[in-house]
Amino acid sequence: MAVPPPGPGGRPAPGRRATGPALLARCGFDGAERALRLLEDAALREVLTAGREPAVSADADRLLDEASASLVRALGLTADPDAGLLALVRWCSGVVAGPDVEDVRSLLQAATEEEAAARARLLAVLGGSGALADHLVRHPAHWRALLAADPPARGHARAELLAAVGADPDADVPVAGRRDPAADGGAGQPEPVDALRVAYRRRLLALAGRDLASEEPTAAMPSVAAELADLAAAALEAALAIARSELPDGGAGCRLAVLGMGKTGGRELNYLSDVDVVYVVEPAEGADAAEALATGGRLAAALQRACSAHTAEGSLWEVDAGLRPEGKNGPLVRTLDSHLEYYRRWAKTWEFQALLKARPVAGDAELGRAYVEALRPMVWSASEREGFVEDVQAMRRRVESHIPAKDAGRQLKLGPGGLRDVEFSVQLLQMVHGRADSRLRSPNTLEALEELTAYGYIGRHDAAELDRHYRLLRSLEHRLQLHRLRRTHVLPTAEADLRRLGRALGLRATPVQQLEDLLRGTRRDVRRLHEKLFYRPLLSAVARLSVADAGLDVRLTPEAARERMAALGYRDPAGALRHLEALTSGVSRRASIQRTLLPVMLQWFADGADPDAGLLAYRRVSDHLGGSQWYLTMLRDSGAAAERLAHVLSAAELPAELLLRSPESVAVFADDDRLAPYDREQVVEAMEAAVQRRPETPAGSAAGPSPVLAARGVRRRELLRTSVADLVGLRDLDGVGRALADADDALLEVTLRAAVRTVERREERPLPTRLLVVGMGRLGGRETGYGSDADVLFVHEPVPGADEGQAQAAAQAVVAELRRSLSEAGPEPGLDVDADLRPEGRQGPLVRSLESYRAYYARWSAPWEAQALLRARPVAGDVAGLGARFRELVDPLRWPAAGLSEANLREVRRIKARVEGERLPRGADPLRHIKLGRGGIADVEWTVQVLQLAGAAEHPGLRTTSTVPALAAAVEAGLLDAADGAELRATWEFTSRVRNAVVLWHGKAKDSLPAQRSALDGVARIMGWPPGSAREFEEEYLRVTRHARAVVQRVFYGD
Amino acid sequence: MDRQQEFVLRTIEERDIRFVRLWFTDVIGTLKSVAIAPAELEGAFGEGIGFDGSAIEGLSRVSESDMLLRPDPSTFQVLPWRTDAEHPGTARIFCDVHTPDGEPAMSDPRNVLKRALDRAAGLGYTFYTHPEIEFYLFKGPLERGAVPEPVDYVGYFDNVPGGTTHDFRRTAISVLESMGISVEFSHHEGGPGQNEIDLRYADALTTADNVMTFRTVLKEVAGEMGLYCSFMPKPLQAQPGSGMHTHLSLFQGDTNAFFEAGAQYQLSTTGRQFIAGILRHAAEITAVTNQFVNSYKRLWSGGEAPSYVCWGHNNRSALVRVPMYKPNKGQSVRVEYRALDAAANPYLAFAVLLSAGLKGIEEGYELPEGAEDDVWSLTSQERRALGIHPLPSSLDHAIAIMEDSELVAQTLGEGVFDFFLRNKRQEWAEYRAQVTPFELQRFLPLL
Repeated sequence: MAVPPPGPGGRPAPGRRATGPALLARCGFDGAERALRLLEDAALREVLTAGREPAVSADADRLLDEASASLVRALGLTADPDAGLLALVRWCSGVVAGPDVEDVRSLLQAATEEEAAARARLLAVLGGSGALADHLVRHPAHWRALLAADPPARGHARAELLAAVGADPDADVPVAGRRDPAADGGAGQPEPVDALRVAYRRRLLALAGRDLASEEPTAAMPSVAAELADLAAAALEAALAIARSELPDGGAGCRLAVLGMGKTGGRELNYLSDVDVVYVVEPAEGADAAEALATGGRLAAALQRACSAHTAEGSLWEVDAGLRPEGKNGPLVRTLDSHLEYYRRWAKTWEFQALLKARPVAGDAELGRAYVEALRPMVWSASEREGFVEDVQAMRRRVESHIPAKDAGRQLKLGPGGLRDVEFSVQLLQMVHGRADSRLRSPNTLEALEELTAYGYIGRHDAAELDRHYRLLRSLEHRLQLHRLRRTHVLPTAEADLRRLGRALGLRATPVQQLEDLLRGTRRDVRRLHEKLFYRPLLSAVARLSVADAGLDVRLTPEAARERMAALGYRDPAGALRHLEALTSGVSRRASIQRTLLPVMLQWFADGADPDAGLLAYRRVSDHLGGSQWYLTMLRDSGAAAERLAHVLSAAELPAELLLRSPESVAVFADDDRLAPYDREQVVEAMEAAVQRRPETPAGSAAGPSPVLAARGVRRRELLRTSVADLVGLRDLDGVGRALADADDALLEVTLRAAVRTVERREERPLPTRLLVVGMGRLGGRETGYGSDADVLFVHEPVPGADEGQAQAAAQAVVAELRRSLSEAGPEPGLDVDADLRPEGRQGPLVRSLESYRAYYARWSAPWEAQALLRARPVAGDVAGLGARFRELVDPLRWPAAGLSEANLREVRRIKARVEGERLPRGADPLRHIKLGRGGIADVEWTVQVLQLAGAAEHPGLRTTSTVPALAAAVEAGLLDAADGAELRATWEFTSRVRNAVVLWHGKAKDSLPAQRSALDGVARIMGWPPGSAREFEEEYLRVTRHARAVVQRVFYGD
Repeated sequence: MDRQQEFVLRTIEERDIRFVRLWFTDVIGTLKSVAIAPAELEGAFGEGIGFDGSAIEGLSRVSESDMLLRPDPSTFQVLPWRTDAEHPGTARIFCDVHTPDGEPAMSDPRNVLKRALDRAAGLGYTFYTHPEIEFYLFKGPLERGAVPEPVDYVGYFDNVPGGTTHDFRRTAISVLESMGISVEFSHHEGGPGQNEIDLRYADALTTADNVMTFRTVLKEVAGEMGLYCSFMPKPLQAQPGSGMHTHLSLFQGDTNAFFEAGAQYQLSTTGRQFIAGILRHAAEITAVTNQFVNSYKRLWSGGEAPSYVCWGHNNRSALVRVPMYKPNKGQSVRVEYRALDAAANPYLAFAVLLSAGLKGIEEGYELPEGAEDDVWSLTSQERRALGIHPLPSSLDHAIAIMEDSELVAQTLGEGVFDFFLRNKRQEWAEYRAQVTPFELQRFLPLL
């Protein structure tokens, strides 16, 4: 490459002068050839240098002349240098023939600092906003608007825009001049609506120039947004003047005030969005009220038209009056009284939230002020309204859970971590605390944030971060909209568009990458900050040590903390704060970890059905475990563990109770592995190990606590693991049933072994008989629920040569010992063992020998016994040997070769009918009894069982102790219609899940659907229904069971 | 406190009202009333008035017997017949029943209708009804068990010069009008002592409230004149029964959704589907629209009462009639359901009719051919050939059909559905145990 000669002025850099293409590339131009061509454009040359010489040297280096090089460098600071240069060329062709050529040349050559700054503003607009560049091309003389370095005084825009439409800015009620063809020879004078658009854009041009050329866009953002709102207000004023000019008397009988709402009201407007307004109308003195109202309607409609209509000069924006009372269906204008009446009677919480931002922006200022004064107090008493907490909850959920929308990731406004997050967080805090503290009422997001910080509702550090992120997101949004002056909040996907955006923010090294990184970080922080903003300061209210020691920089008053807890859904805020205090006070490591954890945990509890109970249980667990290293480490290092713990404890009572019996079990929350199901043998081993660790009671001494207690502890842990896995969605109904049955099986096994040992030790000889425990009912079917007791039969078989009488006595002693150690009082839950299904029921001996069973069944067996045996499954003791022989004995009974005789079928039906009448507890509603009620669990199980009795001999698939496989087999065998089978299965699974959920919720065995709404809601939520579905869930339960009953009626009763 | 509540409280003060009757309706349609002092009303607006719901048929389960009455201030009316110089003023106000949790009770018939209307609103419709209520006037006082004696023996549209009936109707109508219930039309009906008064059309909830008020007003006025007024569906064996033919229409905003200029009978597709829905589900809803054992005596005694499921244009033997269209009255296109009797619970009846019609619209049912003949005069074979089915022949039959109805279960809610069926099975069981004069007359001499 040839060495370039030094440049004439030596500027900008000593040493080599860059070649034209190299300079262009360095300044961010994309197409050097095109740029070089444009630089030679005749009009540009004429304007820039009076056209004396070519811009590009003719040699191979193609050096740029000084003026062009300077221009290129200046364009290099704009969002899109190529587009900027093209626009510049187009504009120059309009300037070149006009009177401004000299002035523009001076500007472009930028000899002075001021000129350089003005040139930067001009080029920033040309390269940053295609739409405003087009405006400048259309109105070349408007470049002078860019000369001012500082924003004009606040009232200036109003005066200028009113003057533009021919209205007197100083008049009380300005009316636009009507177009008078005679005045100007009939030409040149534009229609007022066009004049308004032109004047508006001229000011927008000036503003955009200052904004885009700003060194720190985020610093300028609040004043830019305020100026945009003022400009919109001025436009509304001018549009009203136009509207008045269309009425014969200027609508003199009608006073009309325009209230800015939303971002207009908050003085934080975008470049292009709908302008939200509300109108209030009163008759002028002596005018007719009805007529004034009609005139007001016409004025408002004409005003909106003046702003939104598309004319030769385009359109400003839509005026949206949708926030008015009754929304789109309500009248466009109302009197002040009518507004007041609406808000007194009908308005919803979100409407008051919208009123937060109401501000008079145009029209009758006195009336506008009266509106704000009358309505503002109502905003703050809104929190005393019925349903306020629910509404706030709903608003909070809206902030915290984003419905995945199209383009969610590219949405600046609605996506996670977007602008809406910040705005809602701030408004929510205002609504919660603004009633008691009148200093928190600014309609402007950033000002409100400042107030909340200044008066101690949020931490300074967090607020500063949020402020920074909000400014960045808004600046980006502004630049996005400026490009085409389109109302958009969605990031573009094209590389070139992203590049332009990044550069517009000053990210010129690798604009696309920098932009994406910045945005990702910002969004993540905004999500995190929301939680910190809302929940963290709660800690300060209860911290006894200095705020700084607690790592906080804010101190919330106790009243404010209670307000906030109540708004979060805690029913006993004072109590909740006490727990918070107990958990976080002190300087221990434990307290400091809790201070880090609790803000987010408070939110998770608040998402549960019973936040208060969740927090209480958490406190008790934490109190008990104190500073246990592993506990704190688990919570701190595993966000999932802490979230899971909070979720489970606030969702249901049962796991909380199980956990509190031995808080060490909290380890099960650590990860999914700890919730994985164990098989029966693993549980047996764990129980044996636990039993071994306990000293056994010496023979003959007074009975101390049984070693079986330790095994009961292992079963409790299994219950806990299962209930947690169930609640977090890791275990389905079948999995729950198996896990609970395995735990019961294992406990029976281990307890039986212990009982045998005890008896053997007592009698000082080996047991003369073998024992077997047979599971019946749900245990037999491995369908155990949380509240189920264990239905069993006890069987024994004397060893060869043993004395029958002694064997029987020994067996009885073992069973008695087994029952004693399972039911004795102790810290670990026992197991209710129910042997009522044995021969002769309660009159019969608790345990019989196999031969005795054989003799009994040979002589007496009733149909209900055969039916009960359908679910018999050896579960503990000599399962392989005696268990197999017991099966051989009962199989022909439960799967009778002859099927079910008419007489026996009739008998089963009769007993069922009788049970329906008698077994239901006194006062229970048959519609709501989950087990024995209409279409309940028993209805389905009895239906399956008659099909099994009838067909099991012929269809081996029916030889199962479990309900769902039996149903499937019955359909397979053609004994049950497929649709009926599906319905029965769905109902059985539904009611079984409901029954589990009821026990989970109450923490104890209950068989009825709760009547109380809060309990019903809790149960519904465990079942996966959204909050607040109690009634729908109840209807669904009643509907499902009614349908099932119809099937039962048909299939079981043969109706 | 909203504006309407304030208005009520102010009126009570201005008109010197000493008692406020809180009105609500049980599942069977019996009006219930609790009197409170005006001072308690403000509290009732705020928190409601508690009462033991288990004492009211079908209202609550034993387990949650505490219920709340929440007065609906828009229904406030001063009762004209309780007010004169000696008697302090009395007013009534309809109430919604709420559970202790503050939610509307599923078992409140008013809530059943509101839910159905909400569903219609979700589809963009408002539901209007216009009932023609028939009743008998007997000489008082009522003697238990005796055959009542009608006040006159004239017939349809007969003018009774200087008659009691005339005075009665005039007084009753003026009381109704003074309570804000507009009367469209009134005349003597076919049976001796039988009259008909037609109420002006209004939204279904208002109409249902009005029907409840109407029955009370007529009984009060009759009592004061020494008469007895009855809405029993079939009080006299050889005479016509008392129906409550009800005209139904759906509006979308201000336009009648049943109207389509130039269509057959000016009846829109929506209107045709609505009729189709009512016809298809007519048998299922009959236990609600005709809820007493006595109702079936009316349905199956011929005359004006419809017994067969069909529709017709101006066909008075059809179950659903599309009245003659009056030119340029697009807003008045409507369909008339003729099975409903004067003793139905209007809230539940309107709710099931609306649901059946909406079902037709949602599922796009095809409307079968209309019947042009007098259906009664066809032979049963002819009816079968035309695909015209009978309505249930008895309460027992109607219950059996309703038991399988998803539509009715969904509309009434599971709780009301279950209670209603149990209550009606009980009624049927008691009725079936009767030994009637018919049996004694025919069989005693013979057997």
